[in-house]
Amino acid sequence: VSLVAAVVVPGAALLVPELAGGSVQQDAGLREQVLGAVRALLAEPRGRLLVVGVAAVTGERTGTWDWSSLGVRARGAGGGPALPLALAIGAWLLDVCGAGPDRTYLGVSPDSTPQACGQRGQELAAAGDLRMLVVGDGSACRSEKAPGHLDARAEPFDAAVQRALAVGDGTALLALDPGLARELQAAGRAPWQVLAGAAAGAGLAAELTVAVVPYGVCYLVARWWRPDMPTRRTEPP
Amino acid sequence: VRAPPPATRSVRAVGQDGVGTGALRLGGASFGPDQGVVMGIVNRTPDSFFDRGRTYALGAALDRVDQVVEEGAGIVDIGGVKAAPGDEVTAQEEADRVVDLVELVRERHPDVVISVDTYRASVGELVCRAGADLLNDAWGGWEPALAEVAARHDVGLVCTHAGGLAPRTRPHRVQYDDVVAHVVTTVVGLAERAVALGVRRDAVLIDPGHDFGKNSRHSLEVTRRLDELVATGWPVLVALSRKDFLGEALDLGTDDRLEGTLAATAVSAYLGARVFRAHDVAATVRTVRTVAAITGRADLALGRRGLA
Repeated sequence: VSLVAAVVVPGAALLVPELAGGSVQQDAGLREQVLGAVRALLAEPRGRLLVVGVAAVTGERTGTWDWSSLGVRARGAGGGPALPLALAIGAWLLDVCGAGPDRTYLGVSPDSTPQACGQRGQELAAAGDLRMLVVGDGSACRSEKAPGHLDARAEPFDAAVQRALAVGDGTALLALDPGLARELQAAGRAPWQVLAGAAAGAGLAAELTVAVVPYGVCYLVARWWRPDMPTRRTEPP
Repeated sequence: VRAPPPATRSVRAVGQDGVGTGALRLGGASFGPDQGVVMGIVNRTPDSFFDRGRTYALGAALDRVDQVVEEGAGIVDIGGVKAAPGDEVTAQEEADRVVDLVELVRERHPDVVISVDTYRASVGELVCRAGADLLNDAWGGWEPALAEVAARHDVGLVCTHAGGLAPRTRPHRVQYDDVVAHVVTTVVGLAERAVALGVRRDAVLIDPGHDFGKNSRHSLEVTRRLDELVATGWPVLVALSRKDFLGEALDLGTDDRLEGTLAATAVSAYLGARVFRAHDVAATVRTVRTVAAITGRADLALGRRGLA
């Protein structure tokens, strides 16, 4: 029993056409790359499906996406309570890719320690075969107009994450500093460390398919999978 | 002078018979109920109040058409006779000014809706043959045969309230018990008459006729209560651009009425007007689109702030 496959995607609300308005076409390339990665995850039939992302209220739950808190009245069909945004983006991506209702959402605190995150990941993997959709971005401080303004530490931080995701280096992910990540508004730190814990010892292959910073936030898309699983590369942009 | 009472007609409720709830279809174009449309003014006149002959020459008028289309007008409104009193313009002279222009615009801009601002049935007949899609009867059905021309050529018709005034005359001490009630009854009557004569229901607009047969308070009240016109279900056109009632609100001349025009445009858009006749097309397009975004009739053109 272990982690069978994982996909890392951005938690950017602008991926959602209903929220993007007239810019829906301009960001269509990124949206397609993200959806391609999620489809690849769903192509793996084994393992329970778990979405991981930051949330103020932590723990496993069910629910659906709901954009009314962002100003658009639209809601997922599944019913249940509205999920926190990162998990809601995951829910929406799974809905768009035609995933069934059999899935769980895990909120992790942005303040949780790397040790706690890694431990949580290990426990999840030990409990049974698992597929993870990991929702989280790199820093949000990559330009003057970025949500967190420009921070010179952001680029090296993101570069380290990129390398780790590209080669499946869980140790490097677990070494990310929570304090720095918080200052750089990198929403992916805790979820990536849960992934790192779950992947420990699984011998996963890895591939980074997207690393872009179009609006000051670093968007990363990566796939980790068990090499015995037939490789299905994500579609090119 | 009290405006003569219009023939009493029942006012249709919103949505009855689908009036006003559907698309406006003019020429090859279809404008949805939530899609504000700007009608760009093109005057082939030597003496209109705001442009004062700038686009009188054929070449200048064509350039003006290109400009308003470029700026986002879905309709061009070609006029050959200034609205205010002035030099006599015969039907022949009016036709000489507008018919050729309509033909040229039809060739140059196959998709734009061509409206002609005329009260004369004879001129209407000629411009329809030349390719016009809409007759803007700004003098409120002065020549009843104009609606018959629209029906015969399957073009649209703007039904306007001018308070019963003869074309090219100014209101003098006009009074209304209730100006909005008078406007509603008049324009709905004209619209229903047009449909009865065979004008397509989805090609009929109503226009309260700001400044026409009205003092400035009348026009301001019509603006304030425009929702009552919208509630008739007929698509509402407003012609506000640079008009005297806006000038009198601030004591400003025509050159300084842009802000007033856009303010009145915003209020009208908010209350549900669908077509906006304008000199300042680009500014009017932006105003109407912003109001549509505020009311939620239109989505953002760009949705990234706070969502990256």
